[in-house]
Amino acid sequence: MTRKTGTGLIPGLYLLLFFAYLFGPLIIMVITAFNSSQFPRIRPWECFTTGWFAKLAADDKLLAGIGSSLVIGIGVIAVAIPVGLAAAILLSQVGPRLRSALYTIFIAPILVPGVVIGLSTLIFWGRIAGFLGLSYKSFLYDGTFLTILGQVTFIAAYSMLVFLSRIQRFDPTLTEAALDMGATPTQAFCKVLLPFMAPAIGSATVLAFLASLENYNTTVFTIVSGSTFTTVLASKVRYGLDPSISAVAVIIIGATLVAAILYESWRRDKARRLLPAGRRVPAAPADLWLAPVRRLTHPAFVGAMLAVVVGGSIWAGSRHDSSACEAQIMENKRALQQQFMQQQAPASPPPAATTAPVQAPASSVFAPSNLFSSPAPEPAPAPAQAPANGAFAPSGLAPSSEAPAPAGQQPAPASPFAPSNLAPSQ
Amino acid sequence: MKDFLGIRRFFAGLVERNGLAVSLYLTAAVGIWIFLLIILPQLTMFDYSFHHNLPPAKVGGPEDVYTLEHYRYFLRGSGNGSAYNVLDMSVLVRTLVAAIFVTVFDLVICYPVAFMLAKSSSAGRARLMVLALIVPYWINEILRAFAFRILFGSSGVINEFGMAVGLWGSPIDFIREDVALYAGLAYAYILLMIFPLYNAIESLDINQLEAARDMGATRLQVHTKVVIPYAKPGIASGSTMVFMLTAGALAAPEILGGPSNLWFTQIVYQWFNSGGNWPRGSAYAMILLVVCIAFVLLTMRLFKVSIGAIGR
Repeated sequence: MTRKTGTGLIPGLYLLLFFAYLFGPLIIMVITAFNSSQFPRIRPWECFTTGWFAKLAADDKLLAGIGSSLVIGIGVIAVAIPVGLAAAILLSQVGPRLRSALYTIFIAPILVPGVVIGLSTLIFWGRIAGFLGLSYKSFLYDGTFLTILGQVTFIAAYSMLVFLSRIQRFDPTLTEAALDMGATPTQAFCKVLLPFMAPAIGSATVLAFLASLENYNTTVFTIVSGSTFTTVLASKVRYGLDPSISAVAVIIIGATLVAAILYESWRRDKARRLLPAGRRVPAAPADLWLAPVRRLTHPAFVGAMLAVVVGGSIWAGSRHDSSACEAQIMENKRALQQQFMQQQAPASPPPAATTAPVQAPASSVFAPSNLFSSPAPEPAPAPAQAPANGAFAPSGLAPSSEAPAPAGQQPAPASPFAPSNLAPSQ
Repeated sequence: MKDFLGIRRFFAGLVERNGLAVSLYLTAAVGIWIFLLIILPQLTMFDYSFHHNLPPAKVGGPEDVYTLEHYRYFLRGSGNGSAYNVLDMSVLVRTLVAAIFVTVFDLVICYPVAFMLAKSSSAGRARLMVLALIVPYWINEILRAFAFRILFGSSGVINEFGMAVGLWGSPIDFIREDVALYAGLAYAYILLMIFPLYNAIESLDINQLEAARDMGATRLQVHTKVVIPYAKPGIASGSTMVFMLTAGALAAPEILGGPSNLWFTQIVYQWFNSGGNWPRGSAYAMILLVVCIAFVLLTMRLFKVSIGAIGR
């Protein structure tokens, strides 16, 4: 019975669906970050733009939030990692009954709703401050301090789980050997157990930082009047949907992917090196062909490639200018709206008639309404049939003596209101 | 006194094993965590929920007496009559029902994946799948909710697709119908369901599966009679985590929740924030905590699993 489930058609399809659910929303979000539409969406696609990233870089609130998140993250790591390590070591040394009791207490903060942890932290430290007679300026009322404590409550439990899974593989006879050879118990701890735990300390640190960065439920209570990256993001999302939030996601997803690829290539490289020399498969002739491929998967090479790709896309993105395309879209929208207005009131005299002699380009007359115009009318292709750089391009707004007048050349429905007509006709 | 001696003996054992400095570090770190971060804040909040909402000047004064007012409010509302606070109670019930729904949904979609991951993938493929599972989890909770907001919006991909295929004529308001919320919550906690399931199924001896098949069990029977009973602790663990985190979620309901449907945590936050009544917020938080824990314990008793299974 060697048939393997998971390789057949139906399981494969299921996996495909599952990972589509997992990645689909993220992919769509990433795409919306590059659409110039004011609302994050894929269709109608307006222009490829990198402007949302520029908007992010100018967002002082978000940058300040990132700053305080970094401080909080470092504080959480500094407290939660030693606490989680101590808890795991203690659990590995006590008897089974105490062990299960302690374990239940340690695991509780993961299950307790974050709202409850946040509120209780706030109340408890407020009480202590009141008891000590401290003013509201004391650090016990400080959002950063409270947030670190609130987050440590459950992040210490996460890191404890990481440490537990590592310490279960620890061979206690190693410590005994060290003691027999004359090490003090403290030395045995520092020179045997701690080095063994080092990889787990690394992964727990990363986990703790990420958990701290993305926490909302507890932080929103304990940060008091301050803000962190996540609370700023949440208020942005609630305030209005804006593609610059997608741009944040692009940056985070990009960083995550880079980290994942680097980690995976580093791990594979390490696994290959750790293979004892005798068990290394001798290079078959066919393998020699693969040698360059091997070199291609070396972590340093992968890292360099990623740096080139990321740096290149940032460079290209910062040079990309979509303003011309966006102006064209704006013009199309305006033309459409005018067409729409014309259909609404075909008999009434054109409202623009009185404003026609105004010297300024017509855009000033309609600009406010165009900027906030709803995309209700379907983007009909008609205006787009005009030459790409025709009357609707910014250059077309120049005095009509220079601009071609396509309105007269083609029976465009928008012609009475076309910008070229609004310009002085002399 | 006996307890005290026990603690002394326990500490002496620690010192003998780890040395004094390390033992002090171990006990101090764990002690601070347990008492200052876990137990005392909860007790303080519990105590606080029995106080009147007083301005700071009056705290500790003659008016600062214990009261059940906030719990009464949850049951009866502000009226003095025999009316019940249907609004808040129905929000609690709806939150729990939705959390159960999300948990079951996650269990159903994650079980096959965990099984394939544990029993029928090559090592390399399994590693890649694990990586693919973890990567979305690194992305901020708010951003994940935002992604579902885009997906399910009235001009979102789902609506566009549905209308293009002809499944429905006009855009469906998925946000108001809470479909987006359930999908987003289920998405957020997939990982917490898969890993306990995976850990449980992984340790199952594949010979047991083959024995069952050889003895004529159908594919379905292999799962219902062998795998699922064996993986029960993992199922309990994953379900508990998903249920508790869903019921305690705040960000996703704020972003994805319909305008008229509140999540219970949002009421807690309202009392705390705009309501300006912290004691009542504490009482509501306590109610949420106690009801959720009671529900989890009851369910575990029903399915005969021990609490120690959680988190492994």
